[in-house]
Amino acid sequence: MTRLPDTTAESDAMVRRFEVPTRLVHWLLAAPFVLLLLTGLTNFEPGLKATQVGGVRVFAWLHVVIGFAALGGAVLALLQLSRRSARTDLEALADVSLDDYLWFQHEAITLAGGRSIGPRVGKFNAGQKVNAVVSAGATVALLGTGIVLGINYVSKSVFDASFVESVFPWHTTIALLFIPVLLGHLYLAVLNPSTRESLQGITRGIVRRDWARRHHPAWLDDLEG
Amino acid sequence: MTNRPDERRDEAENSTGTRSTERSLLSRARFLALLGGGAAVAFLGTRVLSAAGGWRINTVERPTPRFDLEDYRLVIDGLVERPMTLSYDELRELPAVRQVSDFHCVEGWGVDDVQWDGVRLQTIIDLARPTSEAGFITFHSLGDVYRDSLSLQQAGLPDAMIAYDMDGSPLTPDHGLPLRTVMPRMFGYKGAKWLTRIEFRSEQDIGYWQERGWRIDAWINA
Repeated sequence: MTRLPDTTAESDAMVRRFEVPTRLVHWLLAAPFVLLLLTGLTNFEPGLKATQVGGVRVFAWLHVVIGFAALGGAVLALLQLSRRSARTDLEALADVSLDDYLWFQHEAITLAGGRSIGPRVGKFNAGQKVNAVVSAGATVALLGTGIVLGINYVSKSVFDASFVESVFPWHTTIALLFIPVLLGHLYLAVLNPSTRESLQGITRGIVRRDWARRHHPAWLDDLEG
Repeated sequence: MTNRPDERRDEAENSTGTRSTERSLLSRARFLALLGGGAAVAFLGTRVLSAAGGWRINTVERPTPRFDLEDYRLVIDGLVERPMTLSYDELRELPAVRQVSDFHCVEGWGVDDVQWDGVRLQTIIDLARPTSEAGFITFHSLGDVYRDSLSLQQAGLPDAMIAYDMDGSPLTPDHGLPLRTVMPRMFGYKGAKWLTRIEFRSEQDIGYWQERGWRIDAWINA
């Protein structure tokens, strides 16, 4: 049997994972988040915190300015939900079933050295769903408390000092507790061999078909009809 | 697609299973490392927070000023009848007071129930006897980079003081060892740390942050 040259190899090798709106949502939230985390952390190093440009402590100023920009970014991200592809992804994230429990069970058993056959994963596995919920929750909480602190940075006469002081520790604690979640997310997306192909999905929008077949077989089935 | 060697190995192992999902996404070693790393970061974060005890350290001088307490002197001068220079021991021999008051920073954080030991500013005023022209006091930090000021009336408030102990122990270097101004009714930037000079003046001095646009009278609105 003669094999015909495979002219579609390039496109067949890859599969579209995220359309532009979903990728926009991710980066509109992620880019300011990282900048805010870095500028916020300068609070814990008095020398960095004291750095001034033109009589203004530059990291505090940047934190507030980027914070308000992040608010705008969050609004733009919400607007992406008017696009069907973004809504489909959101629905896939929100589609929680017994399979998600079974996925965690499978991961736990195999990590413990046991043998197990896990559920056929759809577009998102249960870990990705948990990460999305935790990240969205932290984002809402940090933006919410951040609005109060940002307005207080501009003017001390809007809120009572006691109210601002009750909000401040929440902002700091949520941000610090989120750091391990973010580091884990980055590790799985960039370094861990079996999962790092997913990074292509959120940057270029495509992933290898064979990777998708292993990691998200039910999703690929839907895609291929 | 060019895979890195460890990824090829992972996939080779994967291909031995009949179903892709038989294998965990993470090797056990990687999972444990991730879990340990995450726990370490969270632990470190909470340590940093609890060690600070709600305080954030603000300074405009790096490194943190350090004093040899043997050589330390507090100068009280300007428009006074009795200028004086006090050593750390002499300072601690002045009539002392203890107060518990809340600390409010202009940045939006605060620390409740801080215990201060030190000397009422009214005591300093009574000792130094300001002349009739004197109306204001400037507090100078070491190096004279940082200064802030109060009117005589403000300094005479019953909770305005200079403190050498905080929460029962001598101030730490970050908190202003050996001496700082405590003005609970105003934001913390009025409380100069590493205090070396108390100067009585006829006009109010424009302090470090006021030169950069902050209010001179930093009354707290709560």
